[in-house]
Amino acid sequence: MSKTFSESWYRVANERISLRPGVRVRRQNFRGERWIVLENPFSNEFFRLRPAAYEFVSRLRSDRTVEAAWRACVEKFPDEAPSQEAVIQLLAQLYYANLLQYELAADSAQLFQRFKKRRQRERGFRLLNIMFMRFPLFDPDRLLVSAMPFIKWVVSPAGALLWLIVVGFGLKVVADNFDAIRVEGQDVLSPGNLLLLYAGMVFVKTLHEFGHAAVCRRFGGEVHVMGVMLMIFTPMPYVDATSSWGFRERWKRILVGGAGMIVEVFVAAIAAFVWANTGPGVLHNLSYNIMFVASVSTLIFNLNPLLRFDGYYILSDILEIPNLNQRAMGQLRHVAESRLFGVKVSESPARNSREAAWYASYGVASGIYRVIVFSGILLAVADRFLILGIVMALICVISWVTVPLFRFAKYLASSPRLERVRPRAVAVALGGIATIILLLAVVPFPRGVRAPGIVEAAERTHVATETAGEVKSVLTKSGTEVQAGQPLLKLVNHELELELAHAKARLAEIDARLLKAMNEGSADVKPLSELKQSVSVRIAKLQDDMDRLTVRARHAGIWVAPELETFVGRWIPRGYSVGLLVNPASFEFAATVLQEDADALFDQRTRRAQVRLHGDAHVPIQISEWKVVPGGQRTLPSPALGWRGGGDVPVGTAEAEANKSVEPFFEVLGKLEPRGEISLLDGRSGKIRFELEPEPLLPRWLRRLFQLFQKRYQI
Amino acid sequence: MTTPSQEYRRVSQRLVSPPLVGLDAGVNSLIGICRRRSSIVESFKGEAAAIDAMAPEFLELSDYQLQERLLDLRKVFHRGARKGEAVVQTALAAIREAADRQLGMRPFQVQLMGALALHRGFLAEMATGEGKTLTAALAAILWGWTKRPCHVVTVNDYLVVRDTERLTSLYHFCGVRVGCVIAEMDEAQRRKNYECDVTYVTGKELLSDFLRDRLRLGKVTHPGRRLIRQMLSGSGNQQGTVLRGLHSAIVDEADSVLIDEAVTPLIISAPRPNAPLKEATVMARDLIQSFQPGEDYVIDARHREIELTAAGAEKLIQKSRELPGFWQGPDRRLELAIQALVAREFYQRGRQYVVENGKLVIVDEFTGRPMPQRFWREGMHQAIEAKEGLEISDPAETVAKLSFQRFFRLFTRISGMTGTASEAAGEFWQVYGLPVMKIPTNRPCIREQWPDRFFVSEEDKWAAIVCEVERIHATGRPVLVGTRSVSASERLFQALTERGLEPRLLNATRLKEEAEIIALAGERGRVTIATNMAGRGTDIRLGNGVAALGGLHVIATERHESGRVDRQLFGRSGRQGDPGSAQAFISLEDELFRRYLPQSFRKSAVSLSKSKHFDRPVGRRAIYAAQRRAEKAAERTRKSILRADLWQEESLSFAGG
Repeated sequence: MSKTFSESWYRVANERISLRPGVRVRRQNFRGERWIVLENPFSNEFFRLRPAAYEFVSRLRSDRTVEAAWRACVEKFPDEAPSQEAVIQLLAQLYYANLLQYELAADSAQLFQRFKKRRQRERGFRLLNIMFMRFPLFDPDRLLVSAMPFIKWVVSPAGALLWLIVVGFGLKVVADNFDAIRVEGQDVLSPGNLLLLYAGMVFVKTLHEFGHAAVCRRFGGEVHVMGVMLMIFTPMPYVDATSSWGFRERWKRILVGGAGMIVEVFVAAIAAFVWANTGPGVLHNLSYNIMFVASVSTLIFNLNPLLRFDGYYILSDILEIPNLNQRAMGQLRHVAESRLFGVKVSESPARNSREAAWYASYGVASGIYRVIVFSGILLAVADRFLILGIVMALICVISWVTVPLFRFAKYLASSPRLERVRPRAVAVALGGIATIILLLAVVPFPRGVRAPGIVEAAERTHVATETAGEVKSVLTKSGTEVQAGQPLLKLVNHELELELAHAKARLAEIDARLLKAMNEGSADVKPLSELKQSVSVRIAKLQDDMDRLTVRARHAGIWVAPELETFVGRWIPRGYSVGLLVNPASFEFAATVLQEDADALFDQRTRRAQVRLHGDAHVPIQISEWKVVPGGQRTLPSPALGWRGGGDVPVGTAEAEANKSVEPFFEVLGKLEPRGEISLLDGRSGKIRFELEPEPLLPRWLRRLFQLFQKRYQI
Repeated sequence: MTTPSQEYRRVSQRLVSPPLVGLDAGVNSLIGICRRRSSIVESFKGEAAAIDAMAPEFLELSDYQLQERLLDLRKVFHRGARKGEAVVQTALAAIREAADRQLGMRPFQVQLMGALALHRGFLAEMATGEGKTLTAALAAILWGWTKRPCHVVTVNDYLVVRDTERLTSLYHFCGVRVGCVIAEMDEAQRRKNYECDVTYVTGKELLSDFLRDRLRLGKVTHPGRRLIRQMLSGSGNQQGTVLRGLHSAIVDEADSVLIDEAVTPLIISAPRPNAPLKEATVMARDLIQSFQPGEDYVIDARHREIELTAAGAEKLIQKSRELPGFWQGPDRRLELAIQALVAREFYQRGRQYVVENGKLVIVDEFTGRPMPQRFWREGMHQAIEAKEGLEISDPAETVAKLSFQRFFRLFTRISGMTGTASEAAGEFWQVYGLPVMKIPTNRPCIREQWPDRFFVSEEDKWAAIVCEVERIHATGRPVLVGTRSVSASERLFQALTERGLEPRLLNATRLKEEAEIIALAGERGRVTIATNMAGRGTDIRLGNGVAALGGLHVIATERHESGRVDRQLFGRSGRQGDPGSAQAFISLEDELFRRYLPQSFRKSAVSLSKSKHFDRPVGRRAIYAAQRRAEKAAERTRKSILRADLWQEESLSFAGG
């Protein structure tokens, strides 16, 4: 509440002050309320006034004192006229906005000091906003004025019709070629395309900025600054179209805000024609990139009101709430001050509860969004340039974390607003921080490790041939339940047969020679008997081999050999695995646990484990016992777990490496209890979740962070 | 005929940079700590010894020769500060000799150190009775020789006249014209006295002359522009400033002027008819007649604030319906109603004001003096007049305003003296750029500081004080009792008189008499009751034989918000190596504790102490905590006022000075 009579009134009472000549005055409506906007055409600065204040300002004349103007105002509007204190505030603000003309020559020392301060603040601001540094380059105003005939033609119903037609056809082209677009889209972010992507982006964004500038100029707003913004160190064009804020009609302001995107969509449509009608080549790729940038970036960045890009200004015009962000922050502060700190004099920037709800929800949403975007940017930058990334991260941590924290501390310690409630405010703030730290560092939260894996039968034997041979016939079909000793496969081996015949013949010969020697009483009997012995052994062995040509099940189980049919007629060497015998009664889950998670498992802090199979995720299967195979390995139990097989584990890119993981992992084998409703089948994939001892979040995050650093930067 | 450069200097002032913030402030305070390091005192000691060694050279000179030497030195100083710096030791040695011959007082080495410190822009901390007046004169002569305007600022008119009279012969001998300005002087007299090389003046007079000069100058305050305008119009010193410009100032009792009273702005005002305000205050009074405390509004006694309840707000709207348009603005009617309520609840006749001849007269709460020249601001005066049913006076409208804090920052060269500065050394440096230097005492101080005595209730405390005064009085030693407020001093006077003592009472109403009373407070068997402010700047000399009895005993009946004020009171005894003692009596109900310690603390302290007394360690800590809080709060206020002032200065610079 400002006081009607002010102690300092004498400072201004007898001054003869007026608004500068050339100051433009416009009326604007915001949410049904009238506002007066003063514009300083020299500096493009704006100043918004309530009508009551303007009644006073409009009475300021160079032949009349401030006192007289105020009195006239009070007489005419006794209830609404600004108080003396408000007048002093108002005049000071107008002075700072360079909108006043006064009798005295300006105090030049004061002016220089102000200039210095302002430049210092700008520099500081630039440093704090290192991710969005701006460098003004040239003044496009004259260019725009000379292009005005063209601009007038474009920004017109005819232009709008043309836009609709082109964009409509563009959409049709896109719809027709949607599959091709999707396929090409997978390579947009590949390293080879980045340069082209950037070229497309600069092209589109330049047109985008010219769009803002042209529309703004078309409606009479001067556009004097165009330059380059280093957005995350990527040079991008920008234009200063703030003079549109002075437009009286809301739709004009919205149109200026949207002009960039309108141009982009138009360009995207043309690019779609070019793309569709060219064969592979630079032009083709470039137009694809333009298309991509103009649509995706427009949707994600420009239209998004949570960051201060076009969408923000459009939204604040649509809602008729200028300085939405500022007010949202003001509202949040008000809530904190009045609810938490108990400040009685705190005033909400909102005039009704609906506005308050808008502010609060916008403030919270944009706050969260900003944290996400900024941490994303940080990681992205740090990823690409290590040293620079660390420097940047430091700067960002300073500007986004340290500076706000410092300011908050200062606010708590010395803000006059908290004069009366400081103890409570400090207590609440410290309490809040302590609660957060306590929650993070002390209170344990349930914790688990997830790992992908597949179901394997616990008892499974590879059925291998014991003799080489040609597959003659498959005796038992794959998938059949078999008994022990049941023949599975019939091989033939003619060599073996011949050898057997040969051995038999030789035995007959030896028998004959033995008989003869015995008759002659010759001394040959003994060696011949021994020879016979050995040949008999050989025959027995060959006979055995012959028997083994029929492959049999060693134990009961399910015979799994899906590809065996194709083997008929093929020669199979000895020891070749032709299929599996699987015991359907017991299965194991073989999980691949990444190194980072493995420590928890080794610590034996694990409480229990649960498996959920893909397709049956709603039914958890308890794992009663498991063992970790000590020693890292890189061969996945199944290619299905790797990236190439659609799984989560990073694997090599080559075809042959489909089951070689990039990083070593640990295999964990858990015994699955069979459950009726789920058919456990060998090879089914799923996820295992180990439930660990609960642990507070903070140490967990720290560990993760260190692991991340270690992994990314080999620190 | 004044030269253009003299004319320029009349209005030129230092460009004051705003107080530093953030890292700059941190670095600056480090520099300050460096500037007041103790090794500087040692080097000054060496210089003082060197000056002392020069004494024989001047001892032999005749008066004429000495004066000739002095005038030669004056020329050197007049020519430039740097040349003067080279001969400063010689100059001080010569002036010392002159002081010896003219005043019969030979400055001690510590006074020479003090003079050096003043000359070099330090704040010299010198104990009471160490001869600050003479010290200031030594430095003022050096500065007076430069012919730049030099002001010696003291606390009251009595001291201004006394010091000028005492020192004139010395100044004249040294070739320095000296003058003084007091309240009763008219413009011509003032002008004449400011034309002198050295002018003795109170801060208040100096500042109000400065402000009147500014009003006279009108809008063109920039010295260069003003000079050009003057040369173009071909006339001389038309606007005729009274001051010669703000160049140098030596501030006596610097802590009181620069810190304690620094933010109270000096206001030059003129009554100005304001019919709507008069009307509105009367209406407001009538409107709130039916408002009941607790029901329609809540009283916040601690912050002296009133808040309307929902019922009260509704009532206000109802009642203001029929009133004229001025009452239809919701903010304005609330403001007026609250002001009327504040006038009703917090301002009591006989305490804050009295009514004399149908006029409202403000009473100073500390001194109890009626202040007919003072007015409450922003309609409060009128609101109280309305409440009392008096004729509503025209509100005094401010025409110029400046706080001492900002005023003294405008001087090119400033230095100061005080008995107690170290507590506020940081602030002296940050606000005024004054490093504090502690000048050692000429003779070691042998005052005994008796331990504080703590009581739970105020009654017990006063009873104990009376007993103690009687006890000491019986030994024949003189006793000085310092009280915080006029009413307290009167109560004690009553109590002591009833006991058959004959105490002298003084409470800063009649300056000259008081100085005489306090000068005699050291006589044998005297009992003197004084408010803390009374008789500042006057020495208490011990009477015959009193030193043998143990010297003056000082009793502080309360602790002050600032430890500095306590020390000043204690410092009344044991001056210049005299014997003496001091003791403070403290109760938990003292103002200091009531305002700066939480209720809970006081309650627990009461419950802890079983008897009438409470623990000494607890008490000491309580005093420390309360004083610290009080001083921090005061410092914050001063800084924020300075910031607000500067903001206004900058943002309203289009309106001229």
